[in-house]
Amino acid sequence: MKNNIRINELCFSTLSSNNPNSLETYLSQGGYSTWKKIVNDFTDKQEIIDLVVKSGLRGRGGAGFSTGKKWSFINLESDEIKYLVCNADESEPGTCKDRDILRYNPHAVIEGMLIASYAIGANVSYCYLRGEFMGEVYKNFKQALNEAYSNNFVGNNILGSEINIELHDLIGAGAYIVGEETAMLESIEGKKGFPRYKPPFPAIKGLFNSPTIINNVETLASIPKIISNGPIWFNSIGTKDSPGFKCFSVSGHVNKPGNYEVPLGTPFKDLLELAGGVKNNKKIKAVIPGGSSVPVLPGNIIMNINMDYESIANAGSLLGSGAVIIMDENTNMVKVLHRIARFYYSESCGQCTPCREGTGWMYKIIDKLLSGKGSLKDIETLESLPNMIASSTICAFGDAAAMPVESFIKYYKNEFLNYIKNED
Amino acid sequence: MKDKDLYNIPSEACTKINEWLLKFPDGEKKPAIIYALHLIQKENKYIKSKHVDALANLLNLKKIDVYEVASFYSMFELEKVGKHTISVCTNVSCMLKGSDEILAYLERKLKIKVGTSSDEYFLKDERECLAACCGAPMMQVDHRYYENLTKEKVDKIIRDIENEK
Ligand SMILES: Cc1cc2nc3c(=O)[nH]c(=O)nc-3n(C[C@H](O)[C@H](O)[C@H](O)COP(=O)(O)O)c2cc1C
Ligand code: FES
Repeated sequence: MKNNIRINELCFSTLSSNNPNSLETYLSQGGYSTWKKIVNDFTDKQEIIDLVVKSGLRGRGGAGFSTGKKWSFINLESDEIKYLVCNADESEPGTCKDRDILRYNPHAVIEGMLIASYAIGANVSYCYLRGEFMGEVYKNFKQALNEAYSNNFVGNNILGSEINIELHDLIGAGAYIVGEETAMLESIEGKKGFPRYKPPFPAIKGLFNSPTIINNVETLASIPKIISNGPIWFNSIGTKDSPGFKCFSVSGHVNKPGNYEVPLGTPFKDLLELAGGVKNNKKIKAVIPGGSSVPVLPGNIIMNINMDYESIANAGSLLGSGAVIIMDENTNMVKVLHRIARFYYSESCGQCTPCREGTGWMYKIIDKLLSGKGSLKDIETLESLPNMIASSTICAFGDAAAMPVESFIKYYKNEFLNYIKNED
Repeated sequence: MKDKDLYNIPSEACTKINEWLLKFPDGEKKPAIIYALHLIQKENKYIKSKHVDALANLLNLKKIDVYEVASFYSMFELEKVGKHTISVCTNVSCMLKGSDEILAYLERKLKIKVGTSSDEYFLKDERECLAACCGAPMMQVDHRYYENLTKEKVDKIIRDIENEK
């Protein structure tokens, strides 16, 4: 079965070469031909946006919003300064695909950024890399960017045209919340990463108060081939509502953890097989299918579903960033939730009270349960907290912190109860 | 004020900071704070208040603007730390693959408690996932990634650092 799966054809296509991040490799695979054609033909901006809408591409940063639709929120008529931002903050627990795209196919990110900038009328665009990427990832990206500048794919009078686009690398300094798009804008402006109220949405009032589009690394790296091969090529892969390829970071208890770029709609069990199956021939217990911010699914449920947005949503979770965390039969679910809750507690930016206080409460209660000092009442409180946090905060961090708690208790309540000493 | 309480940002760093500012609209100074703090930390290992003052001065900003950034982002150290920073990721995927044992092993091996420093090492329990989950368990040593860790691998990494001295 797995031999038929198409793998690594889009964002990871350069992995078939020994020198994946080099300009030669990218060019030999047709890289920058889309950009050259656009520059040469002076393609109508609306035409590009329409192609992306038609392709059905959905944002790969987590929310899965239509990329073409997002771009169309920009008023192309206005002569305001506009910005494009590539979100390379990759920090959703379990997710490690953007790091590999940036390391092994940086030119696809750059070409995607150029096309997106052109389509929305931005003359300046920024790639914001998380601070921890300062070593190899930054080096590879920066080298590719220098190559793109020296070949005049970027800069002034690009390839002899009148098009000017600056593309800059930026670096963060450690903060999960900065992955949230408006917090990222604050961070680029040189402030602490507090998310902004929406509306106004960034497409109306974003970076330095100007219209701004923020897209994920994988989203942008997908753009060049979508334009050159056409929307029909893209949406003939995957399902109707989830067209195209998606990178999944498969981690945890599997024999071959790794990033696998496969068609959306691939059965979970095939993806698991690609990743070598569960380690030590153990049974699968649970899977977090889209990063730690989404609900967990028991193994018996996920073994029967496909990896696309709608199938996972129907099963009660989310495809999120595509981080698939596999847990075997021996996994202690209370400990896993404890670890997740600790993360949200330490990363809440503290701006909104329900999130700041709620993440602390959730963590402390689970901690108390683990230490054997918990009571039934604590579990009841834990069950009621997610409701109080979700949807009551400026950004979606609150929901992200709440969703796993609800689902862990829903499916594994017994394990939580087992931590309560029998009260006489 | 005593002389040693003053800090002059080296001219080479000033040049780099000014170049960085070219990425942003004219007159915007704050966007250089994060970058400049990285430079200062690299030079001085951790950020003291005299560094914050000097940077605020250079960029013509209020001290609080710089301090706010220095204290918000977790990569900036405001207390004295060891020469090498070792951050062991203990988020979910790494935990499932034994990160806690690696961290405990490093504690014993380096004879320092998590979250503290010796002259040589600063050992960090990294609660943020470092985006290398498929190579779990993993750690960073001074921005370099080390993946698929075992105790033997950790021994070798530390040995290599010692040999570099
Ligand atoms: C708490 C939080 C953290 C986020 N972290 C990331 C991240 O690390 N990388 C990312 O691309 N998007 C992240 N997002 C989503 C972004 O806000 C934004 O939706 C995304 O970058 C848009 O790109 P896309 O439409 O191409 O997916 C995060 C959102 C929230 C609420
Ligand atoms: S969980 Fe450790 S790198 Fe992601």
